[in-house]
Amino acid sequence: MITIAIAKGRMQDSALVLLASAGIHVSEAKLSSRRLALSDESGDYRFIFVKPADVPVYVEHGIADCGVVGRDVLLESEADLLLPLDLGIARCRIVVAAADPQAMTKVQGMIRVATKYSQITRAHFGARGIPVEIIQLSGSVELAPALGLADMIVDLVETGVTLRENGLTVIEEIAESTGRLVVNRASYQLKAGAVTRLVNALTDALNGSK
Amino acid sequence: MRYYIGAEARLRRTVEDVAMSVFEGWNYEEVITPSVDYYDLFEQGMGQREAQRGFRFTDNDGRLLALRPDVTSSVARMAATLLAERPRPLRFCYAAPVFRQQSQSHAEWRRENTQLGCELIGVGGQPADLEVLRLAAEILLRLNLETTYCITINNVEIFNGVAASLNLDTRAREQLRRLIDTREAAELRRFLNGYANEGQAFAQPTQLTGKRVVIDAARSLITNARSCAALDALDQLWTAIESLGLEDSFEIDLGDVSSLDYYTGLCLKVFVYGAGSSVGRGGRYDGLTGSFGRAEPAVGFVLNLDALTEVLARRGSLD
Repeated sequence: MITIAIAKGRMQDSALVLLASAGIHVSEAKLSSRRLALSDESGDYRFIFVKPADVPVYVEHGIADCGVVGRDVLLESEADLLLPLDLGIARCRIVVAAADPQAMTKVQGMIRVATKYSQITRAHFGARGIPVEIIQLSGSVELAPALGLADMIVDLVETGVTLRENGLTVIEEIAESTGRLVVNRASYQLKAGAVTRLVNALTDALNGSK
Repeated sequence: MRYYIGAEARLRRTVEDVAMSVFEGWNYEEVITPSVDYYDLFEQGMGQREAQRGFRFTDNDGRLLALRPDVTSSVARMAATLLAERPRPLRFCYAAPVFRQQSQSHAEWRRENTQLGCELIGVGGQPADLEVLRLAAEILLRLNLETTYCITINNVEIFNGVAASLNLDTRAREQLRRLIDTREAAELRRFLNGYANEGQAFAQPTQLTGKRVVIDAARSLITNARSCAALDALDQLWTAIESLGLEDSFEIDLGDVSSLDYYTGLCLKVFVYGAGSSVGRGGRYDGLTGSFGRAEPAVGFVLNLDALTEVLARRGSLD
């Protein structure tokens, strides 16, 4: 049996749709229960639903053999995982946004950046030698500039509506993020057959949907 | 930081004793190396990037010291200097803690790990490679892990030959290495689109791992002499593994390209059910003793005593 950790929230629904099209079905009854671990109908797969940032943790420790999680989370965690498939689901962008489109050149002194993604932010600004003060938040990051906590934010954008409604515009795009299949290094060797079957089933499902 | 108390400590000691007695049975002499040595030694032995993970501090005279981040560097220097006149081959084994800084987010994270290791110095070629593989397999067998371990083998010259024949510069080579290492199929295909046939050998990550069929598939795409020689060596090694009846516990993994600059031929990793990352690694490093003034072939591996103990402890016992 293979254990798959799935990021709760946005990722979960599209991941289950994709898995179903790859022939891996989880019954509605099980899904509507509040259990955080459940198996599919064939009994070959067990699913656990965890917070996105915890998916790389479960997989790197080998508690889950595989995971479905956004690239944004992977970039942030720097976990040592295999990334065999881009699932193309839950597509979004990681961007720098500010109220003033010219903020990058206008801010006096140290730029303050509010974000949930401190690693990505540090790497993005650090690569260009721009010193920034990173303000780590865990949600509603779009509020920070309006309230004067930060000059700009680094955050995920799907449609851009939330940014606009909070008076922010995208000033730079850092990376695109989609859902990825991640695999534990030991599971990849020790459960090679089962992992390969999963990768191939998902690959076929992805090719079929194009 | 980790304490072992009572039964756990006994189990750990037993695992260590099993490994050391297997080494002894193969005529490996135990060696105890200094825990603290000059940092330069480790930089010469491991390369700057790995050595920098060591804990460093200064001596009274300002020279940089380090808590040993590995044992192999010390053994290699010893072979090249203290034991330069001793007839070859040299066989050494050790059970010793090593100290490394590691980012806390990583599963392998531990400042201190005890390595059970061996080095076979002064002989090259397949018999020596096979000897250390048999040693590793015997230790795992004696720990009753027979049906639950997997040793992956590869020869780094297969990748190196392809990278050379594609004329990759340092950056492109590192990018290709990274994509193969993390098995990013889509990105790999995109990267390799710009290159001719040979690169295609790495385009299907799921086909890089398996038994002999992996070598046959690679042969149909790879033509450069360097990679072909490495494929032949791997093929012969696999034949030897089969003739020992060990093929169920071994896998070929052409995608194991994690330490290309350290190893010069065979490289291996050890996986055990119940451990989320590899519990051992090793390979051939013919370039290593040369950096201490006496170039000669060398091969060896280490097992992580703490990781093995944890797996066995969770399983209940050694029986």
